[in-house]
Amino acid sequence: MAQILAVIIFVAMFALIVTEKIERHIVTLVCGLLVLVLVFGLVMHSPAAIWETLNLRAIFTLSFWYPAGQGGEASAGINWETIIFIAGMMIMVEGMGNAGFFRWLCMRIAKAVKYKTIPIFITFMLMASFLSMFIDSITVILFLAAVTVELAQLLKFNPVPVILSEIFCANLGGSATMCGDPPNIIIGTSLGYSFADFITNTGLIAGVCLILSLIYFYAIFHKQLVQKETLDIASFPEPKEAITSKSKFTISCIIFACAVVMLITHAQTGLSVAFIGLFIAIVTLITSGKDSMMLLKKVDYKTLLFFVGLFVVVGGLEQTGILQIIAEFIGNISGGNIKLMIAIIIWVSAFASAFIDNIPFAATMIPVIRSLAAMEGVDLSTLAWALSMGTDIGGSGTPIGASANVVGTAVAAKEGYPIGWGKYCKAMAPATIMVVFVSMIIIFVRYL
Amino acid sequence: MAEQIIIAIGREFGSGGHEIAEKLSELYGIKLYDKNILQNIAEAKNVDVANYEKYDEVPKKMIFSRTVKGLSNSMEENIAQLQFRYLEDKANAGESFVVVGRCAETMLKYHPALVSIFVLSDWEAKVERIMRIYELSREEAESFIFRSDRKRKDYHNYYCKIKWGDSRNYDLCVNSSRLGEEETVLMLKEYIDKRIAHRAKKS
Repeated sequence: MAQILAVIIFVAMFALIVTEKIERHIVTLVCGLLVLVLVFGLVMHSPAAIWETLNLRAIFTLSFWYPAGQGGEASAGINWETIIFIAGMMIMVEGMGNAGFFRWLCMRIAKAVKYKTIPIFITFMLMASFLSMFIDSITVILFLAAVTVELAQLLKFNPVPVILSEIFCANLGGSATMCGDPPNIIIGTSLGYSFADFITNTGLIAGVCLILSLIYFYAIFHKQLVQKETLDIASFPEPKEAITSKSKFTISCIIFACAVVMLITHAQTGLSVAFIGLFIAIVTLITSGKDSMMLLKKVDYKTLLFFVGLFVVVGGLEQTGILQIIAEFIGNISGGNIKLMIAIIIWVSAFASAFIDNIPFAATMIPVIRSLAAMEGVDLSTLAWALSMGTDIGGSGTPIGASANVVGTAVAAKEGYPIGWGKYCKAMAPATIMVVFVSMIIIFVRYL
Repeated sequence: MAEQIIIAIGREFGSGGHEIAEKLSELYGIKLYDKNILQNIAEAKNVDVANYEKYDEVPKKMIFSRTVKGLSNSMEENIAQLQFRYLEDKANAGESFVVVGRCAETMLKYHPALVSIFVLSDWEAKVERIMRIYELSREEAESFIFRSDRKRKDYHNYYCKIKWGDSRNYDLCVNSSRLGEEETVLMLKEYIDKRIAHRAKKS
């Protein structure tokens, strides 16, 4: 009974998220509440399951903030580390955006390549990848797509190929690090992997795939980006005009650099990503002075609440043993064949993430791969990298797969450059399949 | 300087609303905005208008789009919003025009120069008209009218609080099969002239 109820609530949550009739944070919070009351309370009579899923105790332990290289505890329920880290990064990114950092960076690079469309195309793809390694890809694409449209109107080129390539590279860049994409943050914090673990595993795969992606997108789009007329670039906006305040800009650059250093070295310093997120947020708020309230107001609380509800609903599946059943099912159909198991994880994750939000999918799959590794004696990290690449890259396959795709295509359409499913999938689906396939081969070769 | 006038015409498919709008634009010597809005936007953006046309006045497809940070990647919604902004810009710039559909009666409701009209017609008259214009059988024409009106209704009701064709949303609702197109236009002109005079007196 508890299992059936947990599954019904989970499926209803997914359906309501997809239809967008109700805001998604309300959906996950209500579904989470139903799990706590109906599944854990009325059916299971288990206050322990409620307490474990809420996971509040974890925040008040030293190891939550300072695990000191012990490796994360495989905790169930609400992943507060992910939520606190994302909240912290949101505040930092708001501060950077407020100072004009992203627009300045885009315009600076465009100027550095003398406003030539093909170099802009290549450098913007690289920039999307690099920034998405540390900053959420939604923010990266929000700024990059807006500047791309602006440059397209100035330089008279079609921004659609550039925006599509940026979206793909942002999702790819996000897969390279622990903090690049929400599924990776959840995987890292839930399974105790560090930034270094990700960069040396998924980072390496993403690096190889980035080279292939650059070649692919250049091959399919370069003809559309040929510059037909010479333009008077002297009349173009100066990059420094993007900076709203020099002092704010300098401070936000320093904070960003600190965040990058802290994330890269967190395995050595022993600090958790929750600590880093909180620290960065506090520093940003202190240095923002009177703007700090405005930054706090701009935090996307709805996304944070969405995570809270989501973790509870997934906790319901975990506590009732549904995810164990899924793990056993994958174990059975792969018949103990590790290659098949990895192929199933990476391709199912990729396919699912192309159509549904990859965050709930990754959150659901983490307990599954944990059980699978324990049952079949497979190295958990190998399954984690397969899950990470599948969810992060699969999301690129359709316009609704990942948030960066939604934001990129929305910005383009809002400015009068619609990107329908046909146009999107024609360019992005082959790239997605290529990268998922290459990732799978690299995992086979390197880990098996 | 002539008073600004904006005539927003909502219409049932086959009611002759578009033709009425055309005649009103000729009578007043003002621009008519319909599908050509997209042509104008496309030219300004240096985009092929074919990229826009398939999303014109069609309802949003729910499961094929998502909204993130308030940004929707529904092409139907974005094309609709582009047209709403275009109309608002024209209205705020003081231009007089006739606009067909595009939720103009709601989007420009705040504007003092707006006269909103909904043109409907008897079912039989609509079927005959569509059979004649598109050279269709009765069955085909009925199905065409049903599908087109449903599309218009869904499109309108997604963006507007008051439902498509609800008389409370318009200054005037008129059945074009009662007087015929020509006389309906004259009747509407009389009403619009009175509205212009009334507004001029007030200001």
